[in-house]
This record gives sequence, C-alpha cells and structure tokens, in this order.
Amino acid sequence: MIAPRTTLALLLFAPLAFFAAFFLAPMAVVALASFTTDEGGLTFAHYARILLDQYHWDVLWVTFRIALATTALCLLIGFPLAWYLVRIVRWRSWRRACVILIVVPLFTSNIVRSFGWMVLLGRTGLVNQGLMGMGLTERPIRFLGTETGILIGMVYILMPFVVLSVGNALAKIDTALEDASADLGVGPARTFWFVTLPLCLPGAVSGAIMVFALAVSAYVTPALLSGGQITVFSMLIFQQYSSVFDFHYGGALSVTLLVLTLVLVTLAGRVGERGRRAA
Amino acid sequence: MIARLLIRIVALAAMAYLVLPLVVIIGASLTETSYLAFPPQGLTLKWFGVLFDDPSYVSAFITSTLLALAATGVAVLLAVPASLALARYVFAGRAAAASLLMSPLVLPYVVLGAALLQFGTDFGLARSFEALLVGHVVIVMPFVLRSVLPLLTPEQRALEEASMDLGGTPLATFFLVVLPQIRGGIVSGALLAFISSWINVELSIFNTTSALNTIPVKMFNYVQYTIDPTIAAVSAITIVAAALVIILLDLLIGLDMLSERQQP
Repeated sequence: MIAPRTTLALLLFAPLAFFAAFFLAPMAVVALASFTTDEGGLTFAHYARILLDQYHWDVLWVTFRIALATTALCLLIGFPLAWYLVRIVRWRSWRRACVILIVVPLFTSNIVRSFGWMVLLGRTGLVNQGLMGMGLTERPIRFLGTETGILIGMVYILMPFVVLSVGNALAKIDTALEDASADLGVGPARTFWFVTLPLCLPGAVSGAIMVFALAVSAYVTPALLSGGQITVFSMLIFQQYSSVFDFHYGGALSVTLLVLTLVLVTLAGRVGERGRRAA
Repeated sequence: MIARLLIRIVALAAMAYLVLPLVVIIGASLTETSYLAFPPQGLTLKWFGVLFDDPSYVSAFITSTLLALAATGVAVLLAVPASLALARYVFAGRAAAASLLMSPLVLPYVVLGAALLQFGTDFGLARSFEALLVGHVVIVMPFVLRSVLPLLTPEQRALEEASMDLGGTPLATFFLVVLPQIRGGIVSGALLAFISSWINVELSIFNTTSALNTIPVKMFNYVQYTIDPTIAAVSAITIVAAALVIILLDLLIGLDMLSERQQP
C-alpha cells in the first residue's frame, strides 16, 4: 500500500515540474529582463519609457477601444443568435447544423478567417460590390487598414464564444419561471428584463470576458486587416522580439499587457460573480 | 411578434456573416485564374496540386501535424495524473496548482511565445522543434484538464474504491476501472488540444524559422505579402479538416448543447 502523500506527489510531480520549467521560468525571465539593464542592474527605465510616452498610451487606447467595441458588438449580435437557436428554432437538425457552422470557424486558424475578410473587404471585394450594386455607395469604401475593417474581422472571430456561452445559459433556464411571471400578469418585455436576462447574465459575462481577453491580446487579425496602418499593443511586443531584439523593453511591454489583461479579467469576473449572486 | 421577427432577421444575418468568409475561401481556391477571384472563374483543383508539389508546404504540413500530435500526447500524459490529483486529494496549494495549470487559457499567447523565445535563447533551446513543443504543451493542457476533471465524480470514485477493496492493485484499477470511465473526456479534450495546437500562430511565430515552419505561421508570413489561389487552397484544406473534426466530435459526444433541457 502506498501512502496517499506519495501517490499525490507522484501524480503531481511531472505536470507541475513541466509548468515550472516551461511556463513559470520563461515568464520569470521576461519579468526579470523588464526590470534590468544589459549590465544586470536594477532599473525602472523600461516601464518609464512605456508609461511616460504618449505614443504608448495612444496604442493602448486604440487596443482597448477595439477590444471594447468588439465585446459590445459580439454581445449585441451574439445574444439574438443564441436566443434564436435556443428559443425559436424548432427543427433539431437545423439547430445542429447551425451549431456546427458556428463551431467550424472556431476550429479554423485566425489567419484563414482573417484572410477571408481580406478578400471580402478589398476594393473590388464582394462587400464593396454588394454595396455599390445596391447603390449604397458610389465609390468603393476603404475597409482594409481602418478600425472598421479590424472590427469586422475581430467580431467575426470572437462572436462564437458569446453565442455558445449565452446559448448554454439560456438552454439551462427553467421556463417555468418565465411562465410563472407571465401568469402573474407581467408583460413579456418586463419578464425578459427581470427574469430571463438576470438568469443568463453569468453566461453573457463569462463569454464577454473571454472575448475581451482575446481581443486585447489579438495579434494576427489586427496585423492582417490593418495593412500596417493601425498599431495594437501586441504588435509592439512582436516587433521587439522579432526585429528589434530589445528583450528588456519587450519584457516590460509583455508584463504591461499581461498585468492589464489579468486585472481586467479579474475585475470582470468579480462583476459577473456579483451578478450571479444577485440573480 | 415583431421582436421575434427582428431576432430571426438578426440571427440569420449573423449566420450568413459567420459562414461567408469560409465559403469565399473555398470558392476562391477553385478558380482557374492565377489571381484570386470570387465567384471563381471556371472550376479546377490545380491549386491543390501546386501545393503538394511545393516541398516547403509539405514539410510545414508535416511539422504542424507532428507538433500537434506530440503536444497532445504529452499534454494527455501530464493532464490525466494532474486531474486525478486535483479531484482526489485535499492539500495545501491545491487551488494554486489548479489555477496555475489552467492559466494559459487567459494568458496572451504573444507574451508566452516571446517568453519562450527569450528563455530558450539563454539555454540554446530557441527556434527548435522542442521549443515549439513545450510551448504547445503548456497552452493545450488546460483543454484536456477541463474535459477530464468533471468526469472524476464521487460516483466514479466509488467504483474505483470497490476495485481496490477487491484487491486490485492501483495500476490495474487505473487501467481497468478509471481509464474506461474518463476515456470520453480524454478523447474530446485531446481533439480540442490537437486543433488549438494545429491552428496556433501567436505562440509558434517566435520559434519558427524558414526551415522549421508550421502551416499557420507559413500562411501568415505569406498572406502579408501576396494573396493568390494557392493560399486559398491551403486555407480550404484547413477548413475542411476542421469541419471533419467537428462532425466527428458531434457524433462522438454530441455538440447539440443548445437544446432546452427537458424538464423531468
């Protein structure tokens, strides 16, 4: 008979050692580099360079503006789609086909999906052809290299997360609660606002957190759809590590993005938790 | 009624929005023209032929597949014991261990990729298959953990104890009792892990070279300079592969998670 402690140690040793060696240690190296100079002295200069420079604040603002707009649009479009799939569709096979069609993009690389939009949003792309064909615009609209273009691609890529998490929450709601509200003479709009919405809020919040975290750190989609015109924060990190090779400054940029992401995810999690308790 | 109609319109428009880019890519990969055209002009599979004649694409396909297979394998070997430990034992630091192992899910991959490059440079590990592998194991392990952990329930535990009481050795109990019970979770977790490794750019891009390249990174570097039917053909292959995996997952575990639960 092996003692429980020994078994526990045997089970956990390899996974924890692996994470310590290839996850914690690399992160520590980056954090350390961000606080040191080439000679190994302690410095805050790299952070000062980021925080005291207007350019970095501009890039951060663009990054957060795109991430916030992406999250809002994902909720705005994803919620009705989830509602439609859970509450309106009566034909099981159609719902199943829709779920598969929503998941397929999730399983396809960001490149492929952004590439699709590069083709669609070009000067002579299908979107501009359609808009001109309907007489909505006379000249092709420039999408690539604008925030609108990036936004179209990001919402496309991240919306499935919202649809799945809201849809899951909606499907779990006991409809007897809504019936009870209706029986008590409450109108459909008020029932939705006071009964249904609070019940699927946790799902919406967790979906939104996921979308926001992924949007803030997105690299591929902005890189492809910005055409070099717009810079987001992850591009700064990539530049430092791939062409400038300033690991100290790059490390400080990485730590900044990491801390901001974690703080926002934790904050949003708290809000979601409160919503859940109130519900 | 009007609200219902509105929801229907938004939902169908959203579905079209989700499907359109994939249709355009597959369509464009079939064009006979040497430039990208949608709707395709004429129908041909020649771009797929061009692809398989290009050794750099073939080797990238092989690298991506080997990497995803190896990362998934290692992740399963590490995640199964870890989930047993997390589900079965109460110990100091349990919550910390769990959040450490799950944290790659919310971490910016760009940061981890950069970290592995810098860390690897110090140890001569940078820009090698091993450097790619360890990073991929870290990011895909949470998927396996997340699908195995919920299966280690008290009911499952009871059977395990019964086996031990009847004189089964821990190893025999694991392979004959526990493993069959959590197999479904391992398979679906492994599929998710495989896919996330196969499509990753943000992490891989730091440690790839022109000789050691994965398909998504190769595509990323290519698309920034040229757009042509070859790249549409690679994309089409990945879309079809993803669709096949999902249909497989659907048949295996059922993806219809949006049906309203029947009230008992």
